[in-house]
Amino acid sequence: MIEILSASALATVQDLGRVGALQWGVGTSGAMDPLALAAGNLLLGNDANAAAIEVPVFPFQVRFGADLAIALTGADCAARLDDVPLLPWWVVEARVGQVLSLGVPRAAGHWRASRAYLCVAGGVDVPAVLGSRSTQLRGAFGGHEGRALRQGDVLCAAAPGIGRCGSGFGLLPPALAMPLQLDGVPAMRVLPAAEYGHYTEASRAAFWAGEWKITAQSDRYGYRLAGAALEAANPVEMRSHGIVPGVIQVPPGGQPIVQMRDAQPSGGYPKLGTVIEADLWRLGQAPIGSRVRFIEATWDDALDAREQMHAWLADARRLVELHRRQRARSAS
Amino acid sequence: MNPDRIETISAWLAATDIGLLELRGPGTRLRLRNDGGGLPLRGEPIADASPAAAPGGSVTANAASVGVFLHRHPLRETALAPIGTRVVAGQPLGLLQVGALLLPLCAPRAGTVTGLRVAHGTAVGYGTPLVELAPL
Repeated sequence: MIEILSASALATVQDLGRVGALQWGVGTSGAMDPLALAAGNLLLGNDANAAAIEVPVFPFQVRFGADLAIALTGADCAARLDDVPLLPWWVVEARVGQVLSLGVPRAAGHWRASRAYLCVAGGVDVPAVLGSRSTQLRGAFGGHEGRALRQGDVLCAAAPGIGRCGSGFGLLPPALAMPLQLDGVPAMRVLPAAEYGHYTEASRAAFWAGEWKITAQSDRYGYRLAGAALEAANPVEMRSHGIVPGVIQVPPGGQPIVQMRDAQPSGGYPKLGTVIEADLWRLGQAPIGSRVRFIEATWDDALDAREQMHAWLADARRLVELHRRQRARSAS
Repeated sequence: MNPDRIETISAWLAATDIGLLELRGPGTRLRLRNDGGGLPLRGEPIADASPAAAPGGSVTANAASVGVFLHRHPLRETALAPIGTRVVAGQPLGLLQVGALLLPLCAPRAGTVTGLRVAHGTAVGYGTPLVELAPL
């Protein structure tokens, strides 16, 4: 049992997303940093898709109502279990009555992250709806009662108790293992999208060359960016059509919006590009007020990047399982 | 273990630039040192990753695995246990990075951290002394 002690109302239960539901007009949801969620789960020996708590506002506190193995990934929040400092990207065993506190995320060199993931042994035990345990905020279903967590909420882990999965080790964060920056600014690879050719040459060049600020009007639904205004050579009028997380739309003002995990499944603004699936976690971690750059990519680049991400996860899982087996052997 | 196997493994080892090979299985431990001298095997006391006594009554925390020694977490600017820190038994003094995996280097006993035997970021072998501790 995990009791939410914080009053901040934006933490949600998320897994890797409600994939395959767009056909019913249901958005994807899921972790803004799916790599951190999957890594936390594999530290615990969970399925990569097990549900965890995504924390975007700090400080955040929970109290454990039973012994439980947990893993913390994502932003480094100077976490403490009662008074004991915890390392980031680490698996630990919490005891009944202990309080976990997450502070304001710290920057590590060029890498600034904004969301922490609290993964629990077996995953957060909430019912799957349309194949996912993610919170679908717009539709008010999935996750914990279809809403963000509130003070006093109590969640259960599917595999409480300790001593099963081993603890006291961690992973090198993928932001360090697979860094991507341009002139010291975090970068994401982007595929030009259907209306890319409608924009003036100067605007297209400015899109790739400029820094884009993540404005305060950014959340799980979408990131509104500020930078050089993007101009279409001719006005583009479109009917609403299907869109996915990562799509970069340009409303009439010329300031782009990147659709994120809670994006609605359709929209009518012209699409300049799409942040590739393998880099959405980088954008999902970029804090409000920070700046990002975009790198033009090809379809093959995007597939290679996805392959690299899966290879990192597979390698991490192999090493964690090897370590766990070795420890079990030396303990017996 | 079948002695023929040991000879085979030794022959393989002699053809590499690996200095030390250790194999562990249920109830057995085989340690082969490749010093260019070829066969036969040399019997010697097994030094393992348990704390080693160092001059002056201090002890060292040793690498329990091959890896890269990290005195600080890669996301952090300060060391896990800077020199002069008083630590309790089991407290992490540093980390060993094995690919994506980070393993703690735990204090074998309570004490004060008095020095590093290798620098942050050094690749180390199994059993390498890494951090010196003066008992309290």
